[in-house]
Amino acid sequence: MFKNKHKSDMPSSVSGETIIAQGVRVEGDFHSQGDVVIDGEVAGTVETQGALVVGETAKIHADVKAKSAVVAGEVVGNIFATEMLELLATSHVKGDIVTGRISVAAGAQVNGRVSMGEEGKGGKGKVDVEVL
Amino acid sequence: MWKCSNHLLVYCYLYDEYIQENKRFERELLKIENRLTDLGIAGKVSRLALFRNAEEMIRDEINHGVSTIVVVGNDETIRKVIDVVADNDVVLGIIPIGPANELARMMGIPEGVAACDVLSARRVEKIDLGTVNGRRFVTGVTMPNFHAEITCEDKFRVTSIARQAELEIRNLADVTDPRDGRFEAVIRAVVKKGWGIFGKAQLMESILPLSSMAIRSEKPISLFVDGEEMRSTRFDIGIEPLLLKVITGKARVF
Repeated sequence: MFKNKHKSDMPSSVSGETIIAQGVRVEGDFHSQGDVVIDGEVAGTVETQGALVVGETAKIHADVKAKSAVVAGEVVGNIFATEMLELLATSHVKGDIVTGRISVAAGAQVNGRVSMGEEGKGGKGKVDVEVL
Repeated sequence: MWKCSNHLLVYCYLYDEYIQENKRFERELLKIENRLTDLGIAGKVSRLALFRNAEEMIRDEINHGVSTIVVVGNDETIRKVIDVVADNDVVLGIIPIGPANELARMMGIPEGVAACDVLSARRVEKIDLGTVNGRRFVTGVTMPNFHAEITCEDKFRVTSIARQAELEIRNLADVTDPRDGRFEAVIRAVVKKGWGIFGKAQLMESILPLSSMAIRSEKPISLFVDGEEMRSTRFDIGIEPLLLKVITGKARVF
């Protein structure tokens, strides 16, 4: 079925990077120490100490925790990004966001409460924005 | 990696059956034996045969003070000795001869007489060994028709939602490090992109670095462990970190 693809052509996870591609569904508490790329489906919780990339085809029904995150797909659940959250034009987020810094592209859909600044890092100061 | 002198190291050379039976390897074996003598690392020769248990033979040699078991053969020969070598904390060397020597290639060991110099240089690396239902493997496991459910590290489940998928578990491969205490589970799923007749099938690859995994299926399924078939409804896959000491060459892939 896959004979024409030589092993050396295969991508490898760079220093423990996890890739959940299209065609795969993950359920449960997914924890990782490295970077994570999600293009498939995830239900449960997602937590990584590294960077998280949610691709356009991704469907995440989970609370998400990451050091930084770039979202282009669908996230139903709360997002906690310690350092930086980037919502691209194709992103759909239904849930609250807590982050240090945020970038929202024109066209991105956010339904939830956004808390940022020191709050995102666990500090006292905060800026709340309600986006509907 | 640690290196030591060849002084006081006792080598045992294990000749596989196919080498003894095939006359085309005679000249190569003679060259190898001469080179080993020149390098001062000649040792006892043990020959595998149909009704001789490789593990028993090796255990016997280890009891007599052998510290390095050198397989003269191919991947299949290595598979026969992997358990006993790992359990007894001795060093594995390889002199690859003939076809099916993928393991030696990944360890950076050239074929035939050139391997003797790599043996003599004695760059020993400790590498992880994978396990499937208690059976050890070096390179990996493949499941060509993957439609089972896998539970990873007792925390999350992974399923393929594509019609066609295959599972590969890699410990030692061109793109993995067999010293990291983990294996890579790779799921390749065929996903159709686009609509109707314009849709194209694409191969999407998921990669999960893991230390344990359980595969469950209602019907018996086949797994190929280092190329050898295992059939069951339950497979428990794990890793034994840095268990195997093996002599490697500079051209190794990790």
